[in-house]
Parts: sequence; C-alpha cells; structure tokens
Amino acid sequence: MKKIKFIILSAGVILLSACTKKDPNSPGFEYMPDMYRAVGLEYYHAIEVDGDTIWGAQLPPKNTIARGYKPYPYPNTPEGYELAGQNLKNPLENSEENIKKGEELYTKYCIHCHGASGQGDGKVAGKLPGPPPPYTSAAILNLPEGKMFHSITYGKGLMGSHNFLSVNERWALILYIHKLQGKDKTETKQDSTASKLTAKK
Amino acid sequence: MNIKFSASVLLLFFTQIFFAQNADNGAKLFKQNCAVCHASHSDQKLTGPGLKGVFDRVPKPADEWLTKWILNNEKLIKSGDAYANKIYNENNKAAMTVFEGQLSENDVKDILAFLKAPPPASKNTPVAQSDNKQTSTAETEKSKGSNYLLIFLVIFVLVVLWISLRNVRIALQNVVNVKTGKPIYEPQSIGDEIKEWLVKNNRLVFVLSLIIVFVGMKSCWDELWKVGVYYDWKTQKGYKPEQPIKFSHKIHAGDNEIACQYCHNGVEKSKHSGIPTVNICMNCHKGIQEGHNTGKAEKAKIYAAAGYDPSTGKYDESKANPIRWIKVYNLPDHVYFSHQQHVVVGKLQCEQCHGNVKEMDVIEQKNPLTMKWCINCHRETEVQMAGNPYYDRLHAYLKEKYKGKRDVKFTVEKIGGLECGKCHY
Repeated sequence: MKKIKFIILSAGVILLSACTKKDPNSPGFEYMPDMYRAVGLEYYHAIEVDGDTIWGAQLPPKNTIARGYKPYPYPNTPEGYELAGQNLKNPLENSEENIKKGEELYTKYCIHCHGASGQGDGKVAGKLPGPPPPYTSAAILNLPEGKMFHSITYGKGLMGSHNFLSVNERWALILYIHKLQGKDKTETKQDSTASKLTAKK
Repeated sequence: MNIKFSASVLLLFFTQIFFAQNADNGAKLFKQNCAVCHASHSDQKLTGPGLKGVFDRVPKPADEWLTKWILNNEKLIKSGDAYANKIYNENNKAAMTVFEGQLSENDVKDILAFLKAPPPASKNTPVAQSDNKQTSTAETEKSKGSNYLLIFLVIFVLVVLWISLRNVRIALQNVVNVKTGKPIYEPQSIGDEIKEWLVKNNRLVFVLSLIIVFVGMKSCWDELWKVGVYYDWKTQKGYKPEQPIKFSHKIHAGDNEIACQYCHNGVEKSKHSGIPTVNICMNCHKGIQEGHNTGKAEKAKIYAAAGYDPSTGKYDESKANPIRWIKVYNLPDHVYFSHQQHVVVGKLQCEQCHGNVKEMDVIEQKNPLTMKWCINCHRETEVQMAGNPYYDRLHAYLKEKYKGKRDVKFTVEKIGGLECGKCHY
C-alpha cells in the first residue's frame, strides 16, 4: 500500500513539474476564454457552428455591393483590356499632393518588384523567373493609362491582381508611375483636363 | 596568303563578337518584353509556356515560324496555322502581346539568339539555413525540460539510497546483536521515525514550513499575473506558435524588404491589420515556386489553399481551402483597439508594438498587451500635433487650458487616452 502511495505521489509531482514547462504552441492559461476569443466573427477568423466552418473573410451576399463600391465594367479579357485603354481616364488631378500619395503607395505596394526607379530591379524581382519590364521600355512608355489601371486591377503576366487598393489609390499610383517615366507634366495635365471635360459630359 | 588568313581570323573574331552582342541585346529585350510571361531557359510555366526546347517544338523552320509568331501571333492564329491554334488553346486562350511595331525583325533575331545561347549562370545563392535555428531553439527548450526530470531523478535516487542504507544499517546492527547475544533490534516504521524527528526539531520545522507556505503563496501570486498574458516579462519571451505554413517574416520583410503594409493592407483602413488572403501570396509565388530553405513543400500548401495547379497554371476555386493561420497578438474581446487610429493618426511604426519582425523566422509576441502596457504608452507618448490637421481644434483648446504652465507635454493621456470608455465599451 505504502509503495503505491509513494509512486502516485511522485508521479503527481513529476506531472506538476511538466505543467510549468512552457509549450510555445500554447498561449497559456486563459480564465474565461469567451472573453479572450471573440464570439462574433472577426477578420479572417473561423468559427464552428453546428459542425460547419464559417469564415470571417467572405464574399458579399448575392446581389449586394459594399458601400461606396463601384463595379468595374470591363471584363478580364483582351477585349476588356483594349476597351479600358480607350475609355478609362484618370479622374485625379495631376497635382503634387496626388503624386506624393502615389509615391507613398508605390513604396508600399510596388517597390519590392518594380524597384525604386521603376526599372524592374526590386529585391523580389531577382527571385522571380522574369523581372517586370522597366517603365521606360517601349511597350510601357506609351501605354494608355486605362490599360495600366486595368492591369493593376486584374493583374497582367506574372503580376497578380491588386484590387485591394481603392480606385483612387490605383489612379494615384498611375500618376506617380508617369512621373517615374519622366513624362512631361504639361502633357499629362492636358490629359487630365480632357478627362475632366469628358467626365462633365 | 598571310593577309587572307589574318583577315579571315579577324572576320571570325568580329562575327563572334557580333553574335555575342546579339545574344546580349536579346537578353535585354527578353527581360523587357517577354520575361513577364515566359521563363527563358526552363520549362516552368508562367502565364505562357516555358521556352526550353522551343526550337524543337514549333513547326520547321523554327526561326521563321517563331519570328512570325512573336511579331503578330493574332495574324498567325487567324491564318489557321495548326500549331499556333494548338498553343493558343492550350494556354487558356490568353492572348500574347502583338509586338509588331515595337520590335523589329532584327530585335526578334537577337531574342532568338539569346534563347539559343546557353542559360545565364544562376544568380540565386542559398540563404543561410533558417530552419536549423528553429530546431536548435526547440532543442534548448527540450533540454530545459529534461533538466527538471534530472533533478527529480536525483531526488528519487537519493530517497531510494537513504531507505536502502537504513535497511542495511538495521541488518548490520542485528548481525552484531545476534553475535553478542543481545535481543534483536525491532526497527520503527519509517513514518514513526520521521514523526519522532519532527517532534524533536519542532522549531526548525515551524520555520521551514512558514518559508514553504510563503514561497508557495508568492509563486501562486506570480502565476495568477500570467493568466491570459502570453508574454513573460522575466524571460522576455512570448507566445510563438508553429504556423500551418513555415512562413518566415525574416525572408519576406527582412531580406526581400517587402513593406509590412503590402500583405497587411488593412492596417491603414480598418481596425484590423489583416491576415493576407492567399491571393496576395500568389502575387509572388505564382512565379517563385521553390524556396531556399523549404523547397517545394511549403509552396505546395499555398497552391493547395488557392486551388492552383502549378503544372497547368490554372485555378480551381472549388478546391480552394483557406489557410488556418494562428492568431498571435490577441487582445481580449472586451478591449477595442484600432490599427487605423494608431498607424494613420498616431503615426506609430509597426515595430513599436510588434518588435523587430524583420529578424523573426517564426513570429513571436514581443509585448505583453496588458492594460498596464497600454496605459504606460498612453502616458509617455507625446502626440505629434504639428502638421496633423486632425488635432488642430484640440491643440488650440489645450494651449488655452495649460496657458502659463511650464513643461506641459501633450501626451495621449492629456487628450483623453486614459478614459475607460475609449477602449472599453
């Protein structure tokens, strides 16, 4: 009897000591986990309801759109690309402020592939099978801004879709890319006034 | 004779230089125009097929057909060329750019020369093995655990030794007793012997038990402070769970200098900084299909999550299955915290709360996220009011309120950063 008691006791002590060891995969003890872990759906968070997994990241319900969302009319096809090139004009003014905003966005969302000067020499570009073409290459220098917008929205070639950027953010980026291409300011200014006129029509 | 010979040597020399220049120019042109969709010297499929062995695949004569195709593939498809149509359909009818007008025939010749030339030496150099580090830290943690076990083993052995030595002592005593004719020694039970010792040394026992009780209470108290806190102040170690994909922030944010906001793009727009969708992973990993440390295994997990088949380059949405990342920085549900407010208006840097993420292979919680920690920062941080129109009115009001007082710092506390309702509502 005594031996058994002794064994149980020592086993208990060893188990207790195991508890104090920190498991990096365990967040530790939570008193009332309901107050730590949101019961409501949070961003990119899954909850189990009756055996089904419901994700926080979901598409909007059918036939609804998010507030302020404007549908993009051109499909992701070669025809859509051409149409966007013909019809889309930059609604933003080619101002210092907008270009600065574009530069800020560029350093966050583009620079790692396209490089600081837009020559396609970012840090990631070297790891890609093919680096992005420089903005000053013949094909891109004369690209209509509508086509640029279309490419940012849907992606082109190796580049993926970047439509998590808002419409105005994408246009601001295009303003900054024009600056990197060294395009004459007055020329683009005329463009933007032209676009204003068309917008008024 | 001599002149003729040297002339031919010179000619050969120049033609060689000329060809080399051709290939160099071709490489440049390829990089500018083609590399976005085609891998030059491998069969990896990007948007378009890889060009390894392309001269054997296309209809002969290959150069002529390729020139036609590169300059105007639309025309070639419409003309009913069988191979052109086959390629077009095999690649999901993704149209290739028409290069007529952008590239001259000579340019195309240069590109073809580049494709025929042997592949350029690979630039990729293996990065230091970061996985090894991970395993080594795991090993040290393991050895810590075995230290405890060792201590218990030693205690166990000592106890066993004490009991057996006691038995030996009694047995030897009895042998002596039998020889000298004394009565056999009847040992007490172990429990009785301990009791006797305790009664004899009652003062020592009292002091010892007091110490044990106090130490126990103190450690209990300390443990209670750790409830719901995933960070240890003493060791400066936090929650560091193993994620479903061996994603290294060190490689992405450190070595490749990708901005935090590229993947966590909600940080300036919403309460959450956001866990990137697999779409963001695919922006780069459609092209980068092999890692230096993990090879193709971890990338395969991304493709499985996106429903992407790297061999065909096609997505199948029905097979997509979100990655279950494990949340590390978790504020309790009864605290309101907005990233947008802190990053856009407060202009805080990511590192101030999340530590030097650029050095971390596995993300680790670097701050306790307790209320004390929040409040401390609100007391110490000065609000940068100049040049921030958000604060214009408030700044004017505060200037009026603290007029004539010296050394007033406009900390977050002064603008109501300690009020309960700011975070708990």
